[in-house]
Amino acid sequence: MRDNPVLRVVTKIAIPLILLFALYVQFHGDYGPGGGFQAGVIFAAAFILYALVFGTRAARTVVPPAVLRTVTALGLILFAGVGTVSQLLGSQFLDYDALADNPLHGQHIGIFLVELGVGITVAAVMITLFLAFAGRQDEP
Amino acid sequence: MTLNIAVLALLATMGLALIRAVKGPTVYDRILASNAFSTKTVLLISVLGFVTGEAELYLDIALMYALIGFISTVAVLKVSEFGDLGQPRPDSLEESP
Repeated sequence: MRDNPVLRVVTKIAIPLILLFALYVQFHGDYGPGGGFQAGVIFAAAFILYALVFGTRAARTVVPPAVLRTVTALGLILFAGVGTVSQLLGSQFLDYDALADNPLHGQHIGIFLVELGVGITVAAVMITLFLAFAGRQDEP
Repeated sequence: MTLNIAVLALLATMGLALIRAVKGPTVYDRILASNAFSTKTVLLISVLGFVTGEAELYLDIALMYALIGFISTVAVLKVSEFGDLGQPRPDSLEESP
């Protein structure tokens, strides 16, 4: 599909918009529809579109599997880290009230970080799943 | 009232597109029908936003649906033409070492 100029140009225009919209869904999730999981899936959809048009081999050079594995673990560490930090601050696991002096402010920080961790992990896992299924021929 | 009529008209159009997608003798009919269906879904979500009076929430969802619908159409076209999702062109299966 790389030889099709319409698809190539539309894809290159659409991918930044999809990534931007994923970030909007991620960080505006407190006030509108959205959240970490949805943002992660939309973010991964941009990479899946790239892999569809340019091939999974090209997509593997954009996001190498080693990077995907690391990023998956990073998101989980961010999630669990927020819970552990709130535990270390003398509260329950994932009790965001302890993260700041003001409970409201603490809830805001905690939910923001946890949703960010969920989004990072979901995006990486979705891209990994697509590359694993669609790119079977790329394996040596 | 006008918005309710618009919702009903959109639902009727979506039903017709679904019939064409199920019956469609060729793959082009099915792809065109599913593409029209996803476009109508975007319009239906937008109109429902104005019906409920929370247009700014629903327009976000409609925007996302438009982006994802484009990707799904590309994916279905690619499978129908190449029989595979991952290769950049049909003949690269034989070329790759």
